[in-house]
Amino acid sequence: MLKRSKVRSYIERFPRFEDESLSLYYAPRMPKAMIRETEEAVALARKFNDEVARPLALELDRKTHENPDYLPAELVKKANEWGFYTMWIPKLFGGKGFNMPSISYFLEEVGSACVGIANVIGVHYLGMAACMMLSNTRIIKKVMSDVVEGEKTGEPCLISYCITEPTAGTDVEEVDLEAKGRLGCHARKVAGGYILNGSKIFISNGHYSTWNVVYAYADLKRGADTKVALMVKRGMKGFSLGTHENKMGQRVCPASVLNFEDCFVPDELVAMDPDIIKSFTKRSPRDVNMQHIDYVFSISRAGVGAFGIGAARGAFEAALKYANETEIDGKPMVTYEWVQCRLAEMYANVRLGRLAYTEANLANQHRGAYNLLQMKPIYYYLRYLPGSYFKKIIAPLLDKPIATWILSKWYIDWQKPKDQHLTTGLASMAKFSCTDFGVRNCQMALELMGKDGLRQDSGAEKIIRDAKLLQIYEGTNQLNRINLFKSIVAPTCPKATFFEE
Amino acid sequence: MLTALNNDLKPFEDLITKFSREELKPHVEVRDRYPFGDLDDDVIEAGFRKIYDLGFLGIMLPEKYAGIGQGISAMCMMLGHVAEVDASYSLIIFTSAMSQQVILNADADEIAEKIYPKAKDAKEYLVAFPSFTDPGESKELPTASFSGKDYTLTGKLDYLVLGSFSKWAVIPARVAGRQGYSFFLADLNGKGVTKSDPIFSLGLHACPIIDISLSSVSARIIGEEGKGERYFETASKIMHAAAAAINAGIMRGSLKEAVEYTKEREQGGRPVINWSEVRMLLANMAIKSKAAELCVTQTCKAIDENLKDWGRTSIASTLHVHDLACEVVTDGVQLLGGNGYMKDYGQEKRYRDARQVMALLGLAPLKKLALIKEIAG
Ligand SMILES: Cc1cc2nc3c(=O)[nH]c(=O)nc-3n(C[C@H](O)[C@H](O)[C@H](O)COP(=O)(O)OP(=O)(O)OC[C@H]3O[C@@H](n4cnc5c(N)ncnc54)[C@H](O)[C@@H]3O)c2cc1C
Repeated sequence: MLKRSKVRSYIERFPRFEDESLSLYYAPRMPKAMIRETEEAVALARKFNDEVARPLALELDRKTHENPDYLPAELVKKANEWGFYTMWIPKLFGGKGFNMPSISYFLEEVGSACVGIANVIGVHYLGMAACMMLSNTRIIKKVMSDVVEGEKTGEPCLISYCITEPTAGTDVEEVDLEAKGRLGCHARKVAGGYILNGSKIFISNGHYSTWNVVYAYADLKRGADTKVALMVKRGMKGFSLGTHENKMGQRVCPASVLNFEDCFVPDELVAMDPDIIKSFTKRSPRDVNMQHIDYVFSISRAGVGAFGIGAARGAFEAALKYANETEIDGKPMVTYEWVQCRLAEMYANVRLGRLAYTEANLANQHRGAYNLLQMKPIYYYLRYLPGSYFKKIIAPLLDKPIATWILSKWYIDWQKPKDQHLTTGLASMAKFSCTDFGVRNCQMALELMGKDGLRQDSGAEKIIRDAKLLQIYEGTNQLNRINLFKSIVAPTCPKATFFEE
Repeated sequence: MLTALNNDLKPFEDLITKFSREELKPHVEVRDRYPFGDLDDDVIEAGFRKIYDLGFLGIMLPEKYAGIGQGISAMCMMLGHVAEVDASYSLIIFTSAMSQQVILNADADEIAEKIYPKAKDAKEYLVAFPSFTDPGESKELPTASFSGKDYTLTGKLDYLVLGSFSKWAVIPARVAGRQGYSFFLADLNGKGVTKSDPIFSLGLHACPIIDISLSSVSARIIGEEGKGERYFETASKIMHAAAAAINAGIMRGSLKEAVEYTKEREQGGRPVINWSEVRMLLANMAIKSKAAELCVTQTCKAIDENLKDWGRTSIASTLHVHDLACEVVTDGVQLLGGNGYMKDYGQEKRYRDARQVMALLGLAPLKKLALIKEIAG
C-alpha cells in the first residue's frame, strides 16, 4: 500500500517507531542462549529466596532495629558463597559472564523476598558498572580478579560506587548541576597520583566493600569539567569509614560515610581524569562526564526498576496470601469483586513495570553499554570458550594501553548521542515508574490488610519501608522525570532549557 | 483552624502546643526506638503520666466523672497538635478516648465512676482498647460466659493498644449463644491474663501494643449483652474525626519540615525550594494538608452542631484525609532526599505513622462499603 521509502519516512518521524517499540525490533535478535541463562538466574534467585532470603529477611530487619550498629556481614558471605558477586562479571574478566539484562530479573526475584538483600547483591554491580564504564581494562582486570579471588577464599570482595557528598546529591548526577554545585571531594594532582580529601555519604555497602569507585574534583569550583575517577581500596592510608546511617528500611544494606584525609591514590588507580580523556577523544571532559553518568545509570536504573518491581511483587504476594487466608462475613476475601480488582491492579503494576525495565535493558543491549557483549558472535564466543582461554590469551592483553584505548573509543567516542539519550531516558522512565509502582502496591497491600499488615512479622510493613528508598536513590524520581524529558521528549521542544529556570 | 471556629479552645491550644514542644519534641527519636533500645518502659510511660497530669485525657469526659466535658473539636485540636510532633502520643489519647466513648455510649455509669474519678494514676486512668479493630469484622474474639453472677472471658485478643501499660481494658467478646458481640471491662493484671511482648509495628512506636490471651478472666459487662456493635458504631462515628485529626496533624508536621528543609538545602547553586518542581510538590502537599484541616474542622462542626448525617460526613472525610495523608508523608520524605529516609529527621517516622493511623478502627475498604450501604441502601 505504501512504498518502502514512504514507510521509512513515516516511521522515522518523531516519535521514531523503532525507538518507541524496542521489544518489537530487538527481542527477536536476542541470542537464544540468553533466555536459558536468564531462566537459570531466576531459578537460582528462587532457590536463594527459599533457603536464605525469606528465612532471614524479617529476622535481620528486627536485629538491626534491636541494635542499629549491627551489620549482617554473614549475609554478604552467604551471597558470596552462592557466587552472586561474580555471576555478572564478564568471562573476559574471570567472572561467570551471565548476560547483564538477566540481573534485572534476578534482582526482581530476590527483591520480592527482601529488597534490602537484593540491594546488598545488586549495588555491587553498580560499582562494577562504574568501573567497567571507565574503560580502563587494566584496572577492570585488577578489581574484578580481586572479586573472583574473594569468592574463592570466602572473603567477599565488593565494589561500591561513591558519588554523593554531604552537600551534593542531585548535583553529582547531572553535569549542569554539578557545574554550579557545592562540591567537597577534592583531588589534587601530585607526582605519581592524586591526593584525595573530603567525604562521601550514603554509600551503599560501604562498610562491606573492598573497592570504591570514588569521584572527586581537581577544581571544586569547576567540578563538571575537572572530575577525576579514582579506585580506592579499603586499607589505603588516609581512607577511613565513618558511621552508617540509621535508615527507615533496607536495613541489611548499610549506607556508609567514607572519609578521605590526604589519601594518596597512585596513577595506576586513576581510572579517568581530564588528561586521560584528552588522550582518546576530542570531546570535552564535561560531555564525557555526562556520558559516563548516563552509561552507569542506564545500567543501574534498570536495576533499581527491578527492585521496585520486586517490592511491588512482594506487596502483591503478601496481599494475595492474606486475601486467600482471610474471611469477611464468612466468605474468603478473594471471592469479593473489590478484592479481586485490587489484586488484579497490583498484578498489572508488576507486569507493566517489568515491561518498562525490559525496554530499558533492550536499549542498553542494542544502543548502550551492553551492545558489545550482546552481539551474537561475541556473546557466543564469550559463552562457549573455556575460561582457561581467557586467562592465557586474553588476560595479558587487558594490561596493554591499547586495550584501554579500544574500550574507551568504543564506549565513549563511538556511541551516538541519540543512542545515549534513548538509553538514559528509558532507564529513567523504568526507574521512576517501577519504583512508584512499588510504593503504590505496598500502599494497596496495607489498605487491604489493615492492622494485620502493620505488624513487622507480617512482612508487609517492611516492604513499604524498604520501597520508599527506591524513589530516592539513583537520582530522585524528580531528577529522573526531568532526565526522561530532557533525553527523549525535549528534541520536540526547541525552546526547552534545563536546570536554568 | 479549629481554634478559629471556637475561641474557647485557645487556652487548651496554648497548653497543648507548649506541652508538645517541651515534653514531646526533645524525645521523639529516642522514644521511636521502642520496643528496642535501652529505653525501659518507665521512660515511655513518663510521657503518658505527663499527659495524664495535665488532665488532657478527660477532655471529652463529662464533668460528673471529673472530666473536662469538651466536645470533639477540643479533642481534634489536641490530637492534631500532638501528632504534629509525635503521633504516638495521639494514639494514647485516642485509645483512652475510645474506651471512654464506648463506656459512655453504653450508659455504664457505674463503670465510669469506678475508673475515672477514682484513678490514682495514669495506669488506672488510661483504659486499653483494641483501637485498630472493628470487632464486628474480627475473625476471632474472646468468648464470654456468664456464671449467674459475673462474666468470665476466654480466648485471644490481638493488637490491644496500651495493653502492657494499663490496669483496665475494654474488651470485645462474644457471649455464647448470643448474636453480635458485647464489651467488657477486665483487669489486665488479674488472674488468667497472659500478655505478649510489645509488638513491633510500622509506626506509632512509642505507644505500646500487645496481644493478650485470656483464660477465665473475670470481667464486668459494659452496657447490655449483644449491644457492642451499637456502642462501637456510635463511638467510632465520632472518633473517626479524631483519627482524621491525627493524620491532619502529621501532614502539617510533614509540610513544615519539608518547607524548612528545602529552604535550607541547596542543589544546583540555589535553595532547592527555588526549583519549580520542588515548589509544585510542596504546593500539592500544602493543598492536601489544608483540605485535610478543612475536612476535620467541618466534621467537628457537623458533630458539635448535630447536623444531619454527621456520621457519614465523619467517616467520608476521614477516609479522604487518610488517603491524602499517605500521599503527603511520602512526598514529605522525598523532598528531603536521602536525609528524608534517615531517622535523624522526622519525615520517615511520619511516613510510617500516617499509614498506621489509616488502619485505626478497622479496614478502610470495608468502611467505604459500609458508607455506601448507608447512603444507597
Ligand atoms: C540509603 C541510601 C543509599 C544510597 N546509596 C548510594 C550509593 O551507593 N552511592 C552514592 O553515591 N549515593 C548513594 N545514595 C545517594 C542518593 O543517590 C542521593 O540521596 C540522591 O541522589 C538524592 O540526593 P540528596 O539526598 O542529596 O537529595 P537532594 O539532592 O538534596 O534533593 C532534595 C530534594 O530536592 C529535589 N531536587 C534537588 N535538585 C533538584 C532539581 N534541580 N530539580 C528538581 N528537584 C530537585 C530532589 O528531588 C529532592 O526531592 C544513597 C542514598 C540513600 C538514602
